[in-house]
Amino acid sequence: MFNDLKVSFFLACKSIQRGNKGTSILTVFIISLIFVNLIFFPSIVDGVEETLNRQSIEHVCGNVVIEPKDDQRYIDNADSIEKKINKLPGVVGTSSRYMSGATFFYNNKSKSGSVHSIDPSDEEVVTKFHSGLIAGEYLGKENTNEILLGIDITGKEGEVTGDSDLGGVQVGDKIDVTFSNGVIRNYRVKGIFDISSININRYAFITEKEMESVLGVENQASEILVKLSQRGTEEEYKTNFIELGISEDIETWREKTAGTIGSLVDSFSLLTIISTVISLIMAVVVIFIIIYINTVNKKRQIGILKAIGIEQNVIINSYVIQVLFYCFSGIAVGLLLFGIIASYLSVNPIRFPLGYVEPVVEQVLILQNIISLVVFSLIAGFIPAWRTANENILKAIWG
Amino acid sequence: MITITNLTRTYVMGTVHVHALKGISLKINKGEFISIMGASGSGKSTLLHQLGLLDMPTQGEILIDGKDVSKLSEKERSLFRLTQLGYVFQEYAIISELTALENVYLPMLMMGRKKQDCINAGIDILNKVGLGDRLDHFQHELSGGQQQRVAIARALVNKPKILFADEPCANLDSESSRQVLELFKKLNKELEQTIVMVTHENWHMEYTDRVIHLKDGLI
Ligand SMILES: Nc1ncnc2c1ncn2[C@@H]1O[C@H](COP(=O)(O)OP(=O)(O)O)[C@@H](O)[C@H]1O
Ligand SMILES: [Mg+2]
Repeated sequence: MFNDLKVSFFLACKSIQRGNKGTSILTVFIISLIFVNLIFFPSIVDGVEETLNRQSIEHVCGNVVIEPKDDQRYIDNADSIEKKINKLPGVVGTSSRYMSGATFFYNNKSKSGSVHSIDPSDEEVVTKFHSGLIAGEYLGKENTNEILLGIDITGKEGEVTGDSDLGGVQVGDKIDVTFSNGVIRNYRVKGIFDISSININRYAFITEKEMESVLGVENQASEILVKLSQRGTEEEYKTNFIELGISEDIETWREKTAGTIGSLVDSFSLLTIISTVISLIMAVVVIFIIIYINTVNKKRQIGILKAIGIEQNVIINSYVIQVLFYCFSGIAVGLLLFGIIASYLSVNPIRFPLGYVEPVVEQVLILQNIISLVVFSLIAGFIPAWRTANENILKAIWG
Repeated sequence: MITITNLTRTYVMGTVHVHALKGISLKINKGEFISIMGASGSGKSTLLHQLGLLDMPTQGEILIDGKDVSKLSEKERSLFRLTQLGYVFQEYAIISELTALENVYLPMLMMGRKKQDCINAGIDILNKVGLGDRLDHFQHELSGGQQQRVAIARALVNKPKILFADEPCANLDSESSRQVLELFKKLNKELEQTIVMVTHENWHMEYTDRVIHLKDGLI
């Protein structure tokens, strides 16, 4: 058995060594491209998911978000809840927000949306939207007559977008805001932000102090965002919060966004499967053709080998070994190519409407694809080798 | 050494039946150098294929060293060819991806012998057939006669009980033919190698101990 393998190996080596170098290089190159194709698309999908997840944490809900119980409008005693949470090690900060529906008016144009309130210094610790300011400045704690607007509300000057924005509001302009409880206020636009991310650019922010006066409430909150020092520990903290006696709705960012991101990623997974199947079919066809041509060309030699007493399995295995060689060389080159592409994209991420995306490479994904590529190639190489080696000796030699 | 009784081989091609061997009985003794002669199409190659276990007879029995080889499985036949028989084809039949030396020692490698032993034995045999200076040459770098001698060396490397050669000189000029026949004669004399050679040249007869004439599939 071991000796049979040794002879197969001997024949395979000589065949690779003395076969057509151009064909070998081309084969390895094609397999490497197929391999890159196998992992590239899924890694981009994973990258998209990662970008969405990161954005959810950084802009939308922090690591954990606390919301009022189902039958309540606000969280009561927001301050004491925040204090309790902030005492836990590993909590970077908390930000309590109010939220209200609102309509914005400027120059006969209007847009409806919602306004969030923040304690500017708390918010800065928890989310990153302040880093997306493209004009003006961030809010100060006492800025009761100023507002921050997302670019989707202000619109860009000169850009005709119909009624979907205010048509180019600038920093320093004054806009009217009608809150859903009927209160109308006039604000000076202090800053405009543009974050390439889903939804955030439709937000408007005022200070907590101002919102409490609009809503006529105090020490309450529509939501409290919690920022943790380490992603992945959300579940632990959720339990900790419950143990602290917080009886509000507590959700990790994953739970909060599961519906939206989940369905987006699911719709990609069908595409991933299709792309994987196509790649594997390509691999099978390429390997099959190469080994088929190879064995047909060497039919006579195979017959001679059998005639001098080299066993059929030894001959078949010599082709299987060649397939493995091409396959693993292709995978190695493919990994190299993919490494180059991935490191290029990590420096120059692809700009998607929802933000910058770089490929995320999971080892499991790579391993899975190596295994499936090898398995499919082996089958594709085995069949023609088996068919030719199975032929009658005399027929093989004399056709 | 070889006893065949009532051997027939009929090729079936659609509705046509070609009776290539029509019932041959024959005994070949150890150490004999036999030539099989006959006109083209008389069934010489067909007979040698049966003896060399390259083909299955339609009927009849082949005993080699008392063993009924027609009862062997495909795998056993392969092993039998490897260990007991040497076969030289009419056309040059060396593996183009292997050097002369590798061609020669391949069957020995298949036997599970150490690579270095195989190489040594290969060099030894190639020296004997006069190709000691052509070890690393490939098929396309060798003349017809040289290729045929490589094939003979390969057939001999596992010290076969019987060496079969099907018109080994058919594609050779008379000088190369003479070399091959001298080589066979020497092997037969010095090592008592049993040799069964197909030929249709009358002058080849004088090298052999016994001539078997085939005509239309019969002796
Ligand atoms: N594979 C085959 N299929 C059909 N007929 C064959 C085959 N091989 C040989 N024959 C026929 O068998 C007869 C004997 O052929 P062969 O043994 O090659 O003769 P020789 O070697 O004496 O020239 C011929 O009539 C030939 O046409
Ligand atoms: Mg013939």
